[in-house]
Parts: sequence; C-alpha cells; structure tokens
Amino acid sequence: MERNLIERRMHIYLYIVVIIFLILVIRLAYMQLLQNDRFSTLARENRMRLIEITAPRGEVFDRNGNILVGNQPVYTVSLANLGRKDMDGVVQRLAAILGMEPQEIQQKIDQQERLYEPVKLATRVPEEIVVRIEEQRLELPGVGIDTEPLREYPNGNMLAHVMGYVREINREQLAENKDKGYKSGDPFGQSGLEYTYEQYLRGQDGGRQVEVDSMARPVRDLGVVDPVPGNNIVLTIDHKVQKAAEEALARASQEAIKQGYGEARAGAAVAIDVRTGAVLAMASYPAYDPIKLSGVLSQKEYDEIFNSPWKPMLNRALLSYAPGSTFKMIVAMAGLETAATTPQTAISDPGYLIWNNHRYNDWKLNGHGQVDMVKALKVSCDTYFYQLGLKVGIDNIARIAREFGLGEKTGIELPGEDSGVVPGPSSKLQLRKPYLNSGELRKVEEIEQRYEDLMNKTNSDEEKKQLLDKKAKDLLAVNWELAWHDYDTIITSIGQGDSRYTVLGMANYVAAIANGGTLYKPYLVQKVIDPSGRVIEENQPIVARHTSVSPETLAVVREGMREVVLPPDGTAYGFFSGFPPVAAKTGTAEVFGHDNHAHFVAFAPYEHPEIAVAVVVEFAGHGGAMAGPVAESMLAAYFGLTDLSVTHKSTPE
Amino acid sequence: MNTRERSDAALLEQNILLKKLDRTLLITVAMIILLGLLFIYSATKPSELLTATEAVSSGDNLFASVKKQLIMVMLGTGMMIMMLFMQYEDLLKHVKFLYVLNLIMLGAVLIVGDSAMGAQRWIAIGPNQFFRFQPSEFSKLLIIICFAAFLNSRSNKLSRLRDLLPCFAYIGVPVLLVLKQPDLGTALVYVAIMIGMLFVAGARPWLLTGIIGGGIGTVSLWIWAHFWLAANRGFELWIPLQEYQLKRLIIFLDPWKEPLGAGYNVIQSQIAIGQGGFWGRGLFNGSQTHGDFLPIQETDFIFSVVGEELGFIGGSFLLILFFIVIYRCILIAINARDRFGSLLAAGIMSMLTVHVLINVGMNIGIMPITGIPLPMFSYGGSSMITNLTALGLLLNINMRRKKILF
Repeated sequence: MERNLIERRMHIYLYIVVIIFLILVIRLAYMQLLQNDRFSTLARENRMRLIEITAPRGEVFDRNGNILVGNQPVYTVSLANLGRKDMDGVVQRLAAILGMEPQEIQQKIDQQERLYEPVKLATRVPEEIVVRIEEQRLELPGVGIDTEPLREYPNGNMLAHVMGYVREINREQLAENKDKGYKSGDPFGQSGLEYTYEQYLRGQDGGRQVEVDSMARPVRDLGVVDPVPGNNIVLTIDHKVQKAAEEALARASQEAIKQGYGEARAGAAVAIDVRTGAVLAMASYPAYDPIKLSGVLSQKEYDEIFNSPWKPMLNRALLSYAPGSTFKMIVAMAGLETAATTPQTAISDPGYLIWNNHRYNDWKLNGHGQVDMVKALKVSCDTYFYQLGLKVGIDNIARIAREFGLGEKTGIELPGEDSGVVPGPSSKLQLRKPYLNSGELRKVEEIEQRYEDLMNKTNSDEEKKQLLDKKAKDLLAVNWELAWHDYDTIITSIGQGDSRYTVLGMANYVAAIANGGTLYKPYLVQKVIDPSGRVIEENQPIVARHTSVSPETLAVVREGMREVVLPPDGTAYGFFSGFPPVAAKTGTAEVFGHDNHAHFVAFAPYEHPEIAVAVVVEFAGHGGAMAGPVAESMLAAYFGLTDLSVTHKSTPE
Repeated sequence: MNTRERSDAALLEQNILLKKLDRTLLITVAMIILLGLLFIYSATKPSELLTATEAVSSGDNLFASVKKQLIMVMLGTGMMIMMLFMQYEDLLKHVKFLYVLNLIMLGAVLIVGDSAMGAQRWIAIGPNQFFRFQPSEFSKLLIIICFAAFLNSRSNKLSRLRDLLPCFAYIGVPVLLVLKQPDLGTALVYVAIMIGMLFVAGARPWLLTGIIGGGIGTVSLWIWAHFWLAANRGFELWIPLQEYQLKRLIIFLDPWKEPLGAGYNVIQSQIAIGQGGFWGRGLFNGSQTHGDFLPIQETDFIFSVVGEELGFIGGSFLLILFFIVIYRCILIAINARDRFGSLLAAGIMSMLTVHVLINVGMNIGIMPITGIPLPMFSYGGSSMITNLTALGLLLNINMRRKKILF
C-alpha cells in the first residue's frame, strides 16, 4: 500500500514535470519561432551602430579664387548611454573635464531615446581636453571622441555679415526642414549666404556601419558610405576690396570718435561692378566672430554679441538711412527729364531760400553765388535743389528715385534687406499715422475709405487728380502734418525728411548713373561648383530696368559728380589723387538728436566706369571727411594702388 | 544490518552492484556537464573586438573559468563515487548531526560570509580564496536528507494540517537563515523541496495545493498591496524585502518599464534567446553573448547563450536532457528499496525540477529573477559538487533497488 502510494504520487509528479517542461518549451518556441523577427530587430539595434561621417560644408571663394570660408577638422565628444549603473558618475566626470553642467549633459542623454546611440555633447574640443579624456578612458565608458570638419574662417570676422554663421539646427528649423533629411545636431546656416545657400552648401553625411559591444566599442566594420561634401561657392566679392572696406570702416569709426563723435561706432560700405551688378564688397561694422556663434556661448560672449548697443549682428549695408546730399543726383535728373531746368540754367544763391514765409538755409550760409547744375552738384548747393525740387514736384522726384531702384528691395541673395522709403503723400500719411490720437485716426480712416470708393467709381484721370487734391485738403483739416506740403518737397530734395535708402541701394543707383542708366540686380554669388568641379549654377547679370533717363542727362550728372573731387571747391576735393579719374558725391544726413550720418558715393574711372561705391558712417558728422576715406581705400584696393597717406582735405558740406 | 553491509560490499567488489548503475542517467548528466563547459567557455570567451591590450590581459584567462569548472566537476565526481560506496540508510543515523551542521553552515555565512551582488552567500577557503564555498547549495542536499529522515518516521501522520506544522517548523529554521542572507531563491527551493517531499510522503494533495495556492496568493497580494498603497495612499506597507529585491522579483512582468535598470538583464536575455531563432546564430557567434550585453552570463543567464547560439533546437535539446534526468529520478523514487530512498529521490527530483523551472523561466521571462543556477550547467563549484553528490546518492538508491527496472 505504501509502495502504491509512492508510485501513484510519483506518477502525478511526472505529469506536473511534463507540464512544466511543456510550458518552458512552448514559451521558448513562442520567443524563438514566432517572435524571432522582433527580437532580431532589437538585437540589431543593440549591436549595429551607424557612425556618422560628417560631410564637410561647401567652401566659399572670392572672385579670384581666394578662400573666404573653409573647413577644418575639430574634435567632438559624444556620450552613449550604455545602461550602466555608474552612468551618473560618468556624466559627473565628463562634465568636470568639459566644463559643462552635469544636468546639461544628462538632459541631452535623456533626449536620446535609443540605447547606446551616442549623443554629441561638445564640438571644437581643445586638444588638451581630448588628451585628458583619453587618459581617463577606463572611467569614462561610453564616451567617444571623433573628428568632424567644421567651419573655419581664415580671415576671421571678414565678410561675417554676408556669409552669416552656421550653428546647430534649432527645433523650429528642424521641424521645418524635416523632409530634407536634417536631424538634430546637424549644422544649419543661420544668416547671410550660409542661410540662403544652405541647400547648396550642406553636404551629404556618410556613415560607417559597425558592430559594437555593450560598451559601444566597435568590433567590426560592416561598410562605409563616403560623405559627399557640399558644393563650393564662388562669390563676386573681391577679397582685397572687402578687406579694405572693413579696415577703413574701423579706421573711420576710430577717427570720428577721436574727433568727438562718440556715437560713431558703426557703418557700412558696398562696392558694385557697374557693368554687371556684381557686388565687389559689402562690409558692415562692427562685425561679429562667426566662430563664436558656432558653439556654446558663455553669457558674457552672448551679451557682447546680442546685447551690444552697437548691434554687431546687423548687416548695415541692408539697413536704410536718410541719404542726405547723395540723393541730389535724383533731383537733378528729374529736373532735366521734366525740362524744369537745363544744364546751363543758373540761379543766384544767397545762402537760403525763403518759401511760404519760412527760411531754408544752405549749408554755406553766405551762399555759393551763381550756380548751375554741375556746380550745384560739385559744391552740393542746397538752395539750388530747394528751388529745383519745388519746380519738379515730389511726384517726379519719386518717379526717378524709383526708376533707380530706391525705395524697393534689390533682391540680393541675403535675408533681411530693408526696402527703404521714397517720400510722398501716401508714405507721409502712413509714417504719421502711429502718432495720431484715436479721434484723428478714426477720421483719417473714414476719409481713406470714402476716397477709395470714389476713386474706384471713376475712370477719368482728370477726376482722379481732383479727388486726390480734395482728399489732401480733407486730411489737412484733420491734422496739418498729414498732408504733403512744399516744405516736405524742399527737404526731400536734399535727401532729408522721410527718405530712407539702403547702402546697397545707393551703390546700385550710383552704378546705374555710371553705366548709362541700366539698373542691374546686385548679386553676390557668381557660381556654384559641385565637389567634382562641375559648375552647377552660374549667375549672369540681370538687368532690373533700363531707366528712362536720357544719356545727355546722365552725362551732366556724371560731370557734376566728377567735379566734386576736383579743386578748388569740390566737396571731396583732395581725395583720390593719383587715382584713375573718380566721380563722387558727399552726403551729410541730419539725425534728430544725434550727430549726422556721414555718406559718400563714388564711381570710377570717370570715362569708362567699372566700380561704384556707397559708404555710410553712422553719427560721424561730415560725409566727405568721414566716409570719403573709406571709399578711397576701397577704390585704391580695387585699382591696386598703394594705400593713401594723402592728407584728406574736404570742406564741410 | 552488518551482514547486509558486508554482502553489499562484497557485491560491489564483484561489480554486481555497479552493473546496476543507471547508465542512462549517467550519460545524460555527462552530456549536460560537457555542454555546460562548452557554453561557459562561450560565455567567458573575450570578444574579438577588444583592443590589443585588453585582449592580451584576458588571453591568459581564456580557459580560466572552464578549468576551474572542470576541477569542480572532478571534485563532484569524487563525491559522487564516495556516495556509491555507502549504505544510504546509514544517513539516518547521522541526521541530527547533519541538520545541526546545516544550521551552523548557514549561520556561519551570516557571520563570516563574503558578499556579492547584495547578498552574503559565500565562505572563502584556501589560498587566494580559491574555493569560495556557498553553503546554501550544499544545504539543499542536507535538507533533503534530513527531511527524508524526518518524514520517514511519520508515514501516516500527514493527513491533517496540524500534522504538517512540525514539518514547517523543521524546514522553517533553515529557510529563515537563508532569507537573512538574503537569498530568496534558495528559500524558495527549500520550500519547493519540502512540498515535493510532503506530497510523495503522503500528505493530502488538496491540502498541499491549498498551501501552495494560499502561499502564492498571499505573497502576490502582499506585494500588490505594498505597491498599490505606496502609489495611491502614500502608505509604506511593511514587507520583509529590500526595495531592490522586490523590484527584481516583479520586474519580469514588465521589464520595459526599466530597460536600463532592473529590467536590463531580463530584456537582454530575452533578446539573446529570441534572436536565436530555430537554428541559432551558431556556437560562439551570439552577438548578445560576445558583445557582453548580458552580465553574469556564465552563471544565472547561461541558458540564454544556448538559446542564442544553438536556437530552439539547442534549447529544447537541453530541456530534454534535463527531463530525462528528472524522469530517471522519478523511476528511482518509485523503485527504491524503502520509503527513505523514495523520499530522497523525490527530494532530489524536486530540487532539480524547481531549479530548471526557475532558472530557465527567468531566462525566458516567465519567472522572477532569483539567482538560481541551472543544475550541472551553470558556472559555480558549490552547485556542481552538490548536484553530483546528489547524483551519487540517486545512483546509490538505484543500485540497491528491490527489483530490476524496466
């Protein structure tokens, strides 16, 4: 009986054991036969690692093949989460070596969802830090050191505003460009041409597929996809002219400060090939160091760049300024084209104009005597242009200004271009509106609505003109400042008032005067060349417009500009000695509550013009004295002349 | 007694008893051990991807684990042979001594033991602590012997719950001692051995089922309540486990909750086995194994190496080998000369079964992680020697059976 019991019990036991083993085998079969794919994928994710090979970004050259922006291999440090218990310790140690906050590293690690996938923590890591990491390798599992080609600027800050800077793609940019194959950590052009030409400059990253162990150490190479470098870009920029412009702007600022113009901390200069619209130089001062913006910024560095009162990030060549007397050529051309005057017609300048019981002074209080058009430009006679402006009328002035591209964007390949303002009744109304009280604003809007309806009903030009006059009267009734007055025409004629034009726009307008009336669309990129040397895009000059101004008119204006640099009383007399003949115009724009902006425009050679320049030095006083030397340096560089130690003589305008 | 002893010795000398050796069992165990050595080699083999310096330093130790394990196999075989030359009934005379010895060993661990992975389990002996001896392994066999003797004397006194209480007390003392280490896995094995032996000894099946069900139910409810209260009421329900042990115990239910923490081993082990597929990735070819993704793979997680490198075929083959061993245990228990022999065989069978279930179960993600080795397969001397000694005992019982098997 005892025996039977044991036997029975052992039989039951046998069943239980069979069931246990069946469960184990079934589970094994489920995992290995049914879920094999899933686990194989997981295993592959465990051990396969695509080690990225960063493609170098395209390089940038000037028109003569000088390198402007290149690449250089730098060290990067990354960390992979290996799922080890001492991860915190690794983060702490690495943070201490890299000089980062442990939380910052932890955050980046936490963002990486996939195990073992390295996260880039620092770029441009100095060699001594790399050595320290290597020494402590055993205490730093998961830490990787790689090299990566990153932007190098052989000329430092030069061309910083045109080129812009490159920085790790941010979240919004990533979301916007996801379909273009960007991933977090990729470099991305943030401004300037780096931004505009991002799709050309960026390379195609390659990769090395490797098998790794649990410490993320590569075990076996499984294949390499070579990176494809980005396309190279050849600019229209002339390295020499650019350099001269930047250095001269800095000198001009220092000189102006020395002379007591404490706010003269900024400026811009542009040089254009008048035959094509190709930009030879575009400088903005002060500049920033693009390399600093490529990596992590300390608070101090950030403040220096982004919170500086001098705003080094601004490309001032694309910023609009009141042009001052550099605008007078427009008024002169409008005068001749509307037959309001002739080149020979002279006025007698007493040093002022009395108009509507108001006295408008010339800059030279005792007057310039008998003044015809050429002399008016040469000595920058304000009285002449007050009178001419009144005769021509604001509409004609605005028409000619627009023909020369003023008041509109040139469409250059850079973001952030101002369009500027050509003054007129409607621009004046728009500019004053923000200063109206709410009652006035309501009335103005009511008037605008009413006349818009009336204008839509009529087709006759005559009636339209009458309506506009009536509208002006109604606006005047609301507030005197809302309507256009002769006063506005008078100050517009000497480039004051609401006029605002970019330095680039001014250079381009002077270029059109120089080349006989053809307005080109200025451009910076000559061609794009792929890594094998094939030209994939070449820019040809684009004519924006042939102006309606006659060759004779242009010749008179050019003659006037030529006289500007000639003795005895040209406002820029004394510059450009030993140069091919230069034509120029000075400008001094009044800024309410500040020192004047100094302007200078020029083209050369006078007979067969090649280059036009425009310069502004903010709050630096006299245009000739302060902006002139910058133009002189640029032209000297262009013509290959040894730079000027000429004493600069010029008369205050 | 004396005459039978003598006659046995005579029979042994005449190789009569030796002819009754269970060759199927011996061959199966030998296969398990050899496979085990092979996979210990695979699990400890340095991967080719190490840097030159690392490879040189580990090159000396290329076979170190295998050699050490081989020594243990030889020691264990010696123990096994020694077991053949005694009368297993003689053990009955020494039961009290063995029981006390067991308690002293387990107590000593708590006082002079080395700790590893958060538990004190080892006593180091010999030069350079060559032999790190793990009393809780030997203790399993001692408990089987002692409990078999304990039950032997109370054949028909197991029908009521009250009759079982002395049994619980008898096993309860060593259970508490190993829990103190803390070694949850071994405690679980003790309890499984006890229940298995009680069942064979004649305890009522429904009573035992009730105890098992009640025990599992109570523990599950306790753990569940602990977490539920902590999460919802902010109340810490006392539980005789450290928080990390608790986590390790239940993480197998959802290892992806902490893929880098407590769930890491479970996930990596399952990935290894799962990617093995039907045929496996080939011996020494497992990427999980040789990429060092799984720690302590030569011990607790060695089954995952088999699963990865030899696939479903290899895994099931190993399970079949274990099944044969356990099946032989059952036959030996049925055919033993006396009740004591049956109880011993049943105890050893329970021990092996629960080890295979828990170890393989945790490798394939259906059992909690409790640090239980795969018998005669995992790297580890104490376990190997214990199991081979137990095997000697089994063979002994089988040689002295009443009737011929088959």
